[in-house]
Amino acid sequence: MDRGEQRLSKVTAKNQLQGKEIKKDYLDEAVHGYNTRTAMEEAARCVLCYDAPCSKGCPADTKPADFIRSIRFRNFKGAVATIREANALGGCCAKVCPYDRLCEEACSRTGIDRPIQIGKLQAFAVDMERKFNMKILEAKKADKEKVACIGSGPASLSCASKLAREGYQVTIFEALDKPGGVLTYGIIPSRLPQDVVDFDIEKVKELGVEFVFNKKVGQDITLTELKEQGFKAFFIGTGLWKSREIDIPGINLKGVRNAIGFLKEARSGKGETKVEGNVIVIGGGDVAMDCAATAKLLGAERVTIVYRRTIEEAPADIAEIEYVQSLGISIITKFAPQEILGDDGKVAGLIARGTDDFSELKLKADTIVFAIGQEAEDMKKIAPIELNENGTIACDIAKGFTNIEGIFAAGDIVNGGKTVVEAVAQGKSVAESIMNYLSKKEGVN
Amino acid sequence: MAHKADLSIDYLGVKCENPFFLSSSPVGSCYDMVKKAYEAGWGGVFFKTVGIFIADECSPRFDNNAKEATPWIGFKNMEQISDKPLEDNLQAMYRLKRDYPDKIMVASIMGSNDEEWTELAKLVTQTGADLIECNFSCPQMTSHAMGSDVGQSPDLVRQYSKAVSSATDLPVIAKMTPNLGNMEEPAIAAIEGGAAGISAINTIKSITNIDLEFKTAMPVVNGKSSISGYSGAAAKPIGLRFIAQMKQHPLLKNVQMSGIGGIETWRDALEYILVGSHNVQVTTAVMQYGYRIVFDMISGLSYYMEEEGFDKVEDMVGLALPNIIPAEELQRNFKIIVDIDHDLCIGCGRCYISCFDAAHQAINWDFENRRPTVNDECVGCHLCLNVCPVLNCITPGKILWKEDWKITPDEINFKTRYE
Repeated sequence: MDRGEQRLSKVTAKNQLQGKEIKKDYLDEAVHGYNTRTAMEEAARCVLCYDAPCSKGCPADTKPADFIRSIRFRNFKGAVATIREANALGGCCAKVCPYDRLCEEACSRTGIDRPIQIGKLQAFAVDMERKFNMKILEAKKADKEKVACIGSGPASLSCASKLAREGYQVTIFEALDKPGGVLTYGIIPSRLPQDVVDFDIEKVKELGVEFVFNKKVGQDITLTELKEQGFKAFFIGTGLWKSREIDIPGINLKGVRNAIGFLKEARSGKGETKVEGNVIVIGGGDVAMDCAATAKLLGAERVTIVYRRTIEEAPADIAEIEYVQSLGISIITKFAPQEILGDDGKVAGLIARGTDDFSELKLKADTIVFAIGQEAEDMKKIAPIELNENGTIACDIAKGFTNIEGIFAAGDIVNGGKTVVEAVAQGKSVAESIMNYLSKKEGVN
Repeated sequence: MAHKADLSIDYLGVKCENPFFLSSSPVGSCYDMVKKAYEAGWGGVFFKTVGIFIADECSPRFDNNAKEATPWIGFKNMEQISDKPLEDNLQAMYRLKRDYPDKIMVASIMGSNDEEWTELAKLVTQTGADLIECNFSCPQMTSHAMGSDVGQSPDLVRQYSKAVSSATDLPVIAKMTPNLGNMEEPAIAAIEGGAAGISAINTIKSITNIDLEFKTAMPVVNGKSSISGYSGAAAKPIGLRFIAQMKQHPLLKNVQMSGIGGIETWRDALEYILVGSHNVQVTTAVMQYGYRIVFDMISGLSYYMEEEGFDKVEDMVGLALPNIIPAEELQRNFKIIVDIDHDLCIGCGRCYISCFDAAHQAINWDFENRRPTVNDECVGCHLCLNVCPVLNCITPGKILWKEDWKITPDEINFKTRYE
């Protein structure tokens, strides 16, 4: 064991002491789940509040207070039912929700010591669903109008699930060859294992939702054609798939990558993709953390994150930042990239300048991944809908009406890039709008 | 070494280094086990009951029940008396007394007729044992001529106590079953028959859990199960009650008691002492944690005695008895309203739920600030104090007097310290 490995094993040991087991394999989940006994232990810590703040803290109304109470009173199946009823992506949300800013932040137990591990309890409940092969959601007879959902990420899946349950004939059109959007392509498997994503999607399929892959609406098929096929309403939940770029010298060198492409390639490679040498990730969000962890776990020698603000300002979850640090990745804050150095057309290094306008940084690099945010692709290709200045769709977030009758939108493409759980919540509430529209032809912006 | 005050006590004329004994059970059933227990600090052992009858045990034979995430709230045991040859047991007792003369060996015996009881009494007396305990109370014997069926009959208890006391010069202890309504009757019968002391309680007849797969009790023995003895923490309140009630009976108040039932800590042991026990016995906690728990019993009780200024364990025996009085004698002309500390309060609302659903709707809930306040309906029942998850958040506050109030407030003693 060399010094680095020794150090890493110390970090691992420390994390284990704190109850955070860190695994160092790309496909391995970083956190160990509960079994019935440990779940009961955690549920017993819950003070079972009246008018519980945690439930109020969930954007998707997943009712943590209710499902924890069910676990506490040994009704594991009832717990799963509560979750599924409210949240079509209960499994994924259990893994990627920023609890510390939502339900767990609201947890009353914090007043005594530390919050209940709500996400892990939710994951446990969903594990039970799988174990008992439960079928909780039932779809009414699919005799209502045809609805097309464009994109197969969290917002679309949530919207489709709700509509299918109410008897609408829903088809999801996905540009890529697999469903899930950001869930399948944009998050590291140590945070969100693919089988969890697949299971949630399987549950949506069980409701009768059809999936069409490799069909990008606006490119491979037009909205008019879909109308001709009998679709009466359209939901746009395409997400943000264009990486934000900056214009600095060297940006076109070989070895400069964007976050989405980098993560997508790694996930498609199922752990076989190799990353070598020195990798620099630019950015301070969860996507940047995922890129850095991906690089490290796939073999990069040294991974460094360069971020232009402070750690406190970084939008990434504290848990993600700690995870990345536990892998031995350093985070350099308050530096912005100035120039990418090249050698024979390939990336050789990065020069970054301190935001204090004084400090300088020169780092060797073989790969530089830009994870500085995502933008909307051109939505006008789908329909002449009104857009915001940044390219997102201009519409009411809760209702999802666009300026065109029969076209609705939700998720990142509307809110500019927020959490999975918010996309789920919006997809669900926009499904209500769509049902209202189809039954009464009401509510056009 | 454990911190150690003088914990010695005279129990039925035998000087014991401390009152902590293993009860007659699987935890003291051979030489090596008892040797280890002695060396861990136990003052003595009630050796696993011996008889002419040799037990044939089932597998599995234990179960425990849990609340939330806490296992072993109570424990079910289907073992009977010793399954070893009588000769081996007598040998073990003899060698233990020879090798550890300062430790106390109590021979526990069980017969099925006068002759067996007499013979067993003679045999164990020869081993050098200090005391003899008659097991009138094992609830899972496969023969109805033995165990708790005997303990429920004062006549049989008297008869066999007499048979044993006549056959030995050692003090005799009668071990009682709790599977009856009135323990005083068999206890008095035992004393009339010549017993010098009483042990209580043996295990409580129980079904801990019903297995949903096999639709029978736990543990499942080839698809079936039986009712058998329950012990552990859940049994403590029942054991304390029986000891206290016997000690308050005019005919038993001078009889020395050995307290048994749910003892895990020095506090549990002390509680048994305070209701009148000269000796305490432990099994279930040892089954769960091992002999080493006696370290904290010795150390914990020593600290307590020093803190409270007690020189001898004897001085604490029965101190709670004058304060445990019939319900009709309790003073009922005041109520203690609770105080809720809004700074400590975490806003969980548990007090509000319990007060509304199970008490007197005496707590108002402020939805906006998530804080409870006590209204005029409060009767001072303190259910809220019992459910509050925060230490010292809800505490006894002002005393309100009912109309016929005559004494002054200073005369009321009430608890202000909670842990």
